[in-house]
Amino acid sequence: MKKYAYFLLAALVVLAMPLTMQSGSLASEVLIFALAAMGCNLLLGFTGLLSFGQGIFFALGSYTAALMLTRWPVPMPLALLLATAMGALGAAVVGWVAIRQRGTYFVMLTLAFSQMFYFIAYTATGLTGGDNGLMDIPRPNLSVLGVELWALASPWQLYGFIAAIFLLVFWLLLKVSRSTFGRTLLAVRDNEERAAAIGYNLKLLKLQAFVISGAVTGLAGALHAMMTGLAPLSNAEYHTSEMILVMTVIGGTGNLLASLLGSAFYLLLADWLSQLWPRWLLLLGLALMAVSLWMQRGLWGLGDSILQKLQGRRAPAATVDAKGEQA
Amino acid sequence: MTAHAPILLEAIDVEKCYGKFAALGGVNLRVRANTVHSVIGPNGAGKTTLFHMLTGTKAVSGGRIVFDGQEVTHEPDYRRVRRGMARSFQVTSLFLSLPVRENLRLAAQGVTPRQALNPWHEPVGPRALSQVVDSVLAKVGLERMAGTPAGNLSHGQQRRLEVGMALAARPKAIFLDEPTSGMGIDDLEDMKQLIKGLRDQHTVVLIEHNMNIVMDISDTVTVMQLGRVLAEGKPNEIRGDDRVRAAYLGNMITGGKG
Repeated sequence: MKKYAYFLLAALVVLAMPLTMQSGSLASEVLIFALAAMGCNLLLGFTGLLSFGQGIFFALGSYTAALMLTRWPVPMPLALLLATAMGALGAAVVGWVAIRQRGTYFVMLTLAFSQMFYFIAYTATGLTGGDNGLMDIPRPNLSVLGVELWALASPWQLYGFIAAIFLLVFWLLLKVSRSTFGRTLLAVRDNEERAAAIGYNLKLLKLQAFVISGAVTGLAGALHAMMTGLAPLSNAEYHTSEMILVMTVIGGTGNLLASLLGSAFYLLLADWLSQLWPRWLLLLGLALMAVSLWMQRGLWGLGDSILQKLQGRRAPAATVDAKGEQA
Repeated sequence: MTAHAPILLEAIDVEKCYGKFAALGGVNLRVRANTVHSVIGPNGAGKTTLFHMLTGTKAVSGGRIVFDGQEVTHEPDYRRVRRGMARSFQVTSLFLSLPVRENLRLAAQGVTPRQALNPWHEPVGPRALSQVVDSVLAKVGLERMAGTPAGNLSHGQQRRLEVGMALAARPKAIFLDEPTSGMGIDDLEDMKQLIKGLRDQHTVVLIEHNMNIVMDISDTVTVMQLGRVLAEGKPNEIRGDDRVRAAYLGNMITGGKG
């Protein structure tokens, strides 16, 4: 039962959103950025890699999906798959170079790639539309061999489609995080020197983490393009990487469900604050400060400690095992 | 008997320079199988640097290293693990947020590192490597702490887990870098017996400052000074060696410490 607890909780959130929220687009956005944040979490929370390259993979996904759907009309599912593959490829290139260094220099390398990619996207107007981005991206219904399976015209119909993809990816990433691979990543995060000393090829492990992260982020970018009908240049901006990172950190690192929490918190708060005050980003800055100063395990960690305190009153001997285990 | 055991590890004229400073100036070392071979010397003699060269943690500037008949000079550390080398660290180096059992499982899995890239299967059943992990837990006396995060162990327990991490790889040669550093008197005897017992199944290369332990359990002692080998021999030969006495040990051996 415990094995499926996270998945059931994720499914619960996915089901709860249509019942509690007005806007199907906002709900879809929450899931899309939750995907991107989970990809980021695999690097930051499980492997200990702070990557500013996430925006590249996101933009690669959105550009690829846009091009596929507008210029070379391929079936929509294939467009999503190609965008996923493109995200993975981009991550393989960025990762292959960046993991040659550690710490600050690793971060700087991902940042350098992020800047370079922005200017490439800005210059390559033939592919990306440059400053204007790509527009009028169609949102074809899901059909197989001419049989229509899923209409995507309304925001909530699209939400259903995205929710199905989200749950599938969530389940896959949960598998990955619990596999021997995922468990070895935790070792790399904890202590690289020892991980190498007991026989692990750190570069290979990190590269694989990058590729998986890039694939998921690329898919998120593609869904974003489908939802908005746009693949703007702003996706390639450094700000996108920053936003994905902030969601991941606010939600909590090292736990996939926390990324869904982080994405929901960020987007819903932004939606609410932006109606109250045009300088709302300032308040978001304060929220990030609070997390960095007092709750480094993020919202998830906060909930976890509260839950443990409540349980502690009833059963004082909390097991140490549960703490060491990560999902 | 052990004097004629085959040579498992050989260092030939190994050099290591950091800029113009020669930390190792041509060291020769022959370690025979199933012996405890200690490397001693004052601080800064190059003991840990030599360890880094032998285990591949850092690259040599010159010379060769042959292990089990194979040239391994230019292999990085993680590849030498597959050949049967494993090491412990002078400063405890564990996966602090992970349970003791998981620390050992990861160390045992390191010999077949391809498994570590498997993104699909959980480490259960045969992948849990329970037999190896359980036997190491028993050897280092941490059975009752199996579920505790390594960061919550006492210093003495962490030092024993540190040795256990090397053991879990089921190595031919095990390199222990000051396994007793910072240990209380109560824990010392346990560690001594633990290392002594390793000789049956492994070859032990030991850096150690505690002369009581070194002289009691070593088959061979190599004394280093200023990046070179000063003397080598059986413990009682080293005890009686005038150069060693003059350079370093003197009263430490004849009963100053321990």
